[in-house]
Amino acid sequence: MSPYNGLNKIMKKILQYIKIIKLGDTFVIVTFMGLIFWSVSQSWNMPSGQYLKIENNQEDSKVFSLNQTVNKQVIGFLGSSEISIAEGKVRFVKSPCTKKYCIHHGWINKINQTIVCLPNQITISIVGDSESYDTVNY
Amino acid sequence: MTQSIIKPTKKDHTIAKLAAIAIVLSVIEFFLPSPIPGIKPGIANIIILYTLVRFDFSTAAWVSLVRVFVSSIIVGSFLSPTFFLSLFGAIVSLVLLYAVQKLPKPYFSIVSLSLIASFGHIVGQFIIARLWIIPHDSIFNLLPLFLISALIFGLFSAFVCNILLKHKLKKHTF
Repeated sequence: MSPYNGLNKIMKKILQYIKIIKLGDTFVIVTFMGLIFWSVSQSWNMPSGQYLKIENNQEDSKVFSLNQTVNKQVIGFLGSSEISIAEGKVRFVKSPCTKKYCIHHGWINKINQTIVCLPNQITISIVGDSESYDTVNY
Repeated sequence: MTQSIIKPTKKDHTIAKLAAIAIVLSVIEFFLPSPIPGIKPGIANIIILYTLVRFDFSTAAWVSLVRVFVSSIIVGSFLSPTFFLSLFGAIVSLVLLYAVQKLPKPYFSIVSLSLIASFGHIVGQFIIARLWIIPHDSIFNLLPLFLISALIFGLFSAFVCNILLKHKLKKHTF
């Protein structure tokens, strides 16, 4: 028996299994795939946020507008971290922590995206219009 | 020897046998390595599907819930977040199965049942995860990954269950 025959046998078996799929099943499968596409598009097209929320270990969280280009110093547990806001997106630029995960995370711009610097105890996250905020500060 | 007051019926025996198989399968699955945490093939659900088709809904519900409780006690995750995730996944999936079990047979096969049940598992787990474990909307970014795995493993368990159902059964087996 050649290996081609073995392959043929497997193909025949697979075809047999596919035969049990009926008309209603194709409908369910297509709906399921539609759900997958919908969820993928939802997570890709998340609305961009308008505000940036900064939390550190010392004071209440502050909310800033994202529509500006400015670098800010944030005092954390270890020292001062620098974050950069650039027209709708934000990232860490400098941090006194050792592993620099917060800097390597790069830019964030979508609602609910968050960068956490655990050693320095600073969290920055993007919030949308719907989220309630304490203050807006330019 | 004292006589047992509880008289197990034939249905109880069926439930016990099927649940035992389901428990073994889910314990095996617990030790299988997974590339992404949380994504599992759900091989125990093959038994639940089989029970639903060969017997009735109430037997399947019993087997499913017994499996969740006992397998969590065996692997030591009883009353932990993992246990509640699996419990609510099973409950939502049973509710959906109850709703669709009377679908017309000429048009809907076991593939539909399996896919709807796996979808219910994902939905139940996400509801619990969003409400309790990670109360943040960003976990919905994981939804595509889990839905794709639910589709693949749902089809897989439907085909395996189909093979099981094809076998001619001897007397005194299930």
